[in-house]
Amino acid sequence: MYILKNALRCISRAKARNILISIIVLVIAFSACIGLSIRQAAQSAKESTLEELTITASISYDRSSMMNDMRPDDSGREGMEFDRDRFADMMGASTALTLDEYKTYAKAQSVSDFYYTLTASFNGTDELLPVSDDSTETNETTDASASQGRQEPGGFGGGFPGQPAGGGMSSSDFSVIGYSSDSAMTAFIDGTASVTEGGAMFEEGTTERVCVISQELGIYNDLAVGDTITLTNPSLESETYNLTISGFYESTENNDFSMSEFGRNQDPANRILMSAAALELILDESADNSTTITDETTGTERDSTVTGAISATYVFPDSDSYYAFEDQVRALGLDDSYTVSSPDLTAFENSLTPLNTLSTTAGWFLIVILIIGAIILVVLNIFSVRERKYEVGVLTAMGMKKWKVALQFMCEILIVTMIAVSMGAALGAVSSVPVTNALLAGQVEKQTSQQAQREESFGRPDNMGGGFDPGAMSGMEGKIPDNNMGDTPRDTQNNPMEGKVSPFGEMLGGAADYVSEVNSAVNLTVLLQMMAIGLMLTLMASLSSILFIMRYDPLKILSNRD
Amino acid sequence: MSVLSLQNISFSYGKTLVLQNISYEFEKGKMYCIIGRSGAGKTTLLSLLSGLAAADSGEILYNGKSIAKMDKYTFRSRYIGVVFQSFNLLTKYTAAENVILSMDVAGYKAKNKKQRALDLLYSVGLDEDEAQRRVLKLSGGQQQRVAIARALSYDPDIILADEPTGNLDTETQREIMGIFRRLADEGKCVILVSHSPEVASMCDERYQLVRPQPTKK
Repeated sequence: MYILKNALRCISRAKARNILISIIVLVIAFSACIGLSIRQAAQSAKESTLEELTITASISYDRSSMMNDMRPDDSGREGMEFDRDRFADMMGASTALTLDEYKTYAKAQSVSDFYYTLTASFNGTDELLPVSDDSTETNETTDASASQGRQEPGGFGGGFPGQPAGGGMSSSDFSVIGYSSDSAMTAFIDGTASVTEGGAMFEEGTTERVCVISQELGIYNDLAVGDTITLTNPSLESETYNLTISGFYESTENNDFSMSEFGRNQDPANRILMSAAALELILDESADNSTTITDETTGTERDSTVTGAISATYVFPDSDSYYAFEDQVRALGLDDSYTVSSPDLTAFENSLTPLNTLSTTAGWFLIVILIIGAIILVVLNIFSVRERKYEVGVLTAMGMKKWKVALQFMCEILIVTMIAVSMGAALGAVSSVPVTNALLAGQVEKQTSQQAQREESFGRPDNMGGGFDPGAMSGMEGKIPDNNMGDTPRDTQNNPMEGKVSPFGEMLGGAADYVSEVNSAVNLTVLLQMMAIGLMLTLMASLSSILFIMRYDPLKILSNRD
Repeated sequence: MSVLSLQNISFSYGKTLVLQNISYEFEKGKMYCIIGRSGAGKTTLLSLLSGLAAADSGEILYNGKSIAKMDKYTFRSRYIGVVFQSFNLLTKYTAAENVILSMDVAGYKAKNKKQRALDLLYSVGLDEDEAQRRVLKLSGGQQQRVAIARALSYDPDIILADEPTGNLDTETQREIMGIFRRLADEGKCVILVSHSPEVASMCDERYQLVRPQPTKK
């Protein structure tokens, strides 16, 4: 007890020295606090958002892996070229998973929810014309083939998962999208689409032939709720299906669509939404009525069956479940040529790039600061102990054991250091958010300017850094991953990431919205780390004192003074 | 019975023999003076007696027990009080704080250490105001008194004092010697180291310390 009392007395009696040490420790603590805060913010942002993020994944055919397998080997043999025909056959024939297969994989333990969309292309009739800006086209119902079930990446846009196979180039009139459940209707969940007054969404899982059409399509064809519309098989005009309109929907997405670039069925206005179960029955009926059609021009034969493209989505409660999913589906029989990918996670990780970069830099900064700080403290302490040599001599001559003297000196450093560390942590806590955000803004600007530079160099938006790898999207059957962050409302008060987080870059531009702001950085972990730093600095500084004190001989010290 | 006994003590600094076969006996209730010329080894002997240095040969017994076998810190902090020539006080502390710290180091149990410190300081001639002053602000004589009070703080059997009157005026010398006399009369064993015949004359017993003659090879 008297050691502590004595230590406090010595601190108060050597103000200048202790103020100097305090200032140095304060600067170290402040810098360390900022560095630790940045690291903590990055970690918290990742963890808390991952916790709140509903992770979805899809199973896709690993096209790039298949292409690699089909590349000629390096043996240098002549005539070994990439087999494009075989590649096309394989992509066309064997890459699609059936709905049953998708459902089998949904039985994996880690899956919390599973939904899918089934998309097929149909033509209209004279009473049901697709919305189009080309007056000459509206009066003809094309006889282009329906999508043939090739499972390719979806088209462009977003909000409505599931585009007809071969989407972008299809020239049929309408995309009929069947939803397995309400969960699959992400656009309606996130509010980018809604059913207008007077109508209602069809019942979840219903097999009745009821549908919801866009408000524009309704206006264009003068339709009302309760009216019946007739769709025709694009390959066989005589094959028709009647659907009853249960409501109209409006979507913000429609305003952005440029019809000149895509087929009519790609126009969100020409989408007809219904239950997947009902659409499956229609497709089954089409299969039952199938006939073989011979193309008059080319002479090739094809089946008239309307086929659908499936976009299946697996939902996981957390990232760990997602990571476990791949092993589980392999155990359930998924072939190695398919990959499991989560655009949510990929895009989310991309959104953290500036924060992670800053975190790494902060880590190095922290190490440098601690090394320099520790050296300064050790040197200062050595001088201090040498200066107090006489005191050590007197205390030991009085009978105070050397280790007790060392303990007293250590207590003095500990008290001064901890007070300074606390002050530094308090200052750091106050400044960490603005400092972190200012540094983060610099990083985001750097990332953004790099991306702008790439776009300038490419002459168009590129697909790097924040965008999706098209290869990874292959086989997603037209699923357009919309901003799923919007699917799960996030509590921004509890979320350390206050800034806009849109992990999904624009599909074409690859421009990710980065985490650009944090609203809390110093927490208990940082405070504990600060305490640990304080203790570490104390120990390092004290070590030099202890070594000197243990070496001192009181008789020599006092004799030299005499 | 001797409280402190030196038996054939020899000590040398390197090759220089300072003390040779010294055998002294010290008893409680007496005031001793070890006298000798400068360089005779008086301070060295005091260092040996206080446990700050160890003899090359011979034994120092405290109440019949060799101090070499005792914990030197415990011996210094509990059984022997030393008044150094240059006082060796903690200058940033007050007089009272020096005394209290000494009690703390010794593990001395007192109901009110501060009051005991003030009483001790008063007994050696320092009032409360002087007791609360930092040592640096006290005169040489006052510092000497603080050093004596500190040596007495944990009530040791033996008081060692190195040149206790060295830099003091005659009046103060007389007062300081009076304090030592009183302590001896109270039953302490007071051992003074001095080259002053006046100091020696005031002691009960005297030991003359002569530096050994260097031997020729």
